[in-house]
Amino acid sequence: MQEIVRTRMAPGRAEIVKIIPETPDTKTFYFKVHEGLVEAPKPGQFTEIYVPGVGEAPVSICGLEGNGILVQTVRSVGALTDYLFKMRESDLIGIRGPYGKGWPTEKLIGRDVLIVAGGIGLAPLRGVILEVERNRGKYGKLTILYGARTPSLLLYRYEFDRYREIPNTEFLLTVDHPDETWRDHVGVVTELIPMAKINVEKTIALVCGPEIMMRFTVKALEQIGFKENQIYLSLERRMKCGIGLCGHCQVGPYFVCRHGPVFPYWLIKKYFWVDEI
Amino acid sequence: MFRGSVYSGVEDDLKSLFNIVVSRGYRVIGPKLVDSVIRLERLHDFDEIPYGYEDKQAPGYYRVVNNGGRFRHGPDSPKRFLYPPELLLFIIRPDLSIEYPRFEFAKTALFGIKPCDLAAINVMDGVQGELGDEYYQKVRENLLLIVENCVEPGGTCFCATMGTGPFAFKGFDIAYTRIGDGAVIFQPGSDLGVDVLSELGLRPAEDEQVDRLRSLMMEASKKARAEFTLENLPETLEMGLDSEVYRKIAEKCLGCANCNMVCPTCFCFDVLDEPELDGSAKRVRIWDGCHSYSYAQVAGGHFRKSLYARYRHWVLHKFVYWLRQFGTFGCVGCGRCITWCPAGIDLRQVVRDVVREVETRCRR
Repeated sequence: MQEIVRTRMAPGRAEIVKIIPETPDTKTFYFKVHEGLVEAPKPGQFTEIYVPGVGEAPVSICGLEGNGILVQTVRSVGALTDYLFKMRESDLIGIRGPYGKGWPTEKLIGRDVLIVAGGIGLAPLRGVILEVERNRGKYGKLTILYGARTPSLLLYRYEFDRYREIPNTEFLLTVDHPDETWRDHVGVVTELIPMAKINVEKTIALVCGPEIMMRFTVKALEQIGFKENQIYLSLERRMKCGIGLCGHCQVGPYFVCRHGPVFPYWLIKKYFWVDEI
Repeated sequence: MFRGSVYSGVEDDLKSLFNIVVSRGYRVIGPKLVDSVIRLERLHDFDEIPYGYEDKQAPGYYRVVNNGGRFRHGPDSPKRFLYPPELLLFIIRPDLSIEYPRFEFAKTALFGIKPCDLAAINVMDGVQGELGDEYYQKVRENLLLIVENCVEPGGTCFCATMGTGPFAFKGFDIAYTRIGDGAVIFQPGSDLGVDVLSELGLRPAEDEQVDRLRSLMMEASKKARAEFTLENLPETLEMGLDSEVYRKIAEKCLGCANCNMVCPTCFCFDVLDEPELDGSAKRVRIWDGCHSYSYAQVAGGHFRKSLYARYRHWVLHKFVYWLRQFGTFGCVGCGRCITWCPAGIDLRQVVRDVVREVETRCRR
């Protein structure tokens, strides 16, 4: 007798309802998800996006609109994302998730929130900014330190004024290579840390960016007195299956897809500084 | 007849056991000589089992000779059946509707597998049990496990170090030991094992047979050892994350992932799209290995570009991370990765050398 074998790796249907170009190689997609989400998505979690006949890629969740619309920012770097960039509004894609642990929003209540982001690293943190805006009274001071290589590589520029208008918020920008219109800081993102007014004891830091940027950020934060349990990092790895089965995303004993992608620094400290672990 | 007791029989009883299992409707998979290699294959006749052949194994070396000796295992392990190298997950159509595949799950007896492979099934149970691969579980539910204890471990075996052999202690339905002079000791390990063996008309083993079994066990255990012990092993290896040993090995290692493929517990996979002409696509799961270049590669980046780091990850996963993830070691000491390594890299020496390096460093 034959039996049907199911897998948790089958995607549900989603429709592209809006596309916003962000930078020369980045777009933000608004997906109306028809079916297949395993739980209510939280900022910092990710989904696996599937394009029929091409494949799947993990993409972080950048926000949630009403009516089950997921906002996800994608950089075109591989076969799947190149194909996704050719798709239009009302096209269908597959989606499954959300997976992993997001930012510890419940631990942020009553605390100051420091966001340090590099390049596309702001994408998974956008949801935290919007959460602070939505429930402003629940959180203390919001500090956003954001850097990119050039001004044209900054994400969500059309929203910056909105971020600045959130009460009790400090928003500092930097780029490595300015253009003639640039009025903000020039340099790496860690240079913004001493410029911001941070009440270290009250603050939880959320960090996302290239691994090298996160290493320098952790060092800079520890220098001004941050403890290991006050720093959270979002790691990127090859989250192929998303459910801790395929092995590709391991960092030390952790499956980034299940135990992360957001880790408290103390948990991964032993492995974080070892190259190619 | 009781579970855990030992019973005496002769080699003809093995043939009868085979036939009883077949008559009970089991498909039998066991060792078979194919192209000068002992594979695990479907068996239709007891005489297909190449008793009397020996497999000579050493780092990067495998030969089968017909010399009246004993064989251990070839490149196949039960993983091939529980967790196939290639498996269709589903078919997805352009409208994103999904069709799941159907499979036949026949009652299957693994006949004459070795204790290391039995241990590997227990390790895989720990991995798949919690995470729940449905295909694995359905194959597993239908397995009858008949284990041949290893009287003569091979040249790359270190099951005694890993505590997984050369004799089986738990998790089998039937274990048997060919103790010489045509005598065979049988041991039922489950109610099903008791039920099957009771058809054979065996007698309780004589005292001197039990003594002989015990001394064979002791002798075999001495042979299947590596030059390291499990004591503090994960902690020690973790102190040697930066060990030079891995960099030296990378000078020899080809990054071919043969070791991943022959490992009875390596479970990593990739999923590929196979597009069809009608616009649908098959999503197919295939084995992947952490030694291959693309394993930790992402679009626009690479997290383990250096071969030494990929080799190190493999060692640490088997002897350190696995314990934290699934509560057992990921290595059962079968030695396949040593035998089938085209560069003849000996995992036993690698672990020993890292341990020695760390110990030397600590003494300074």
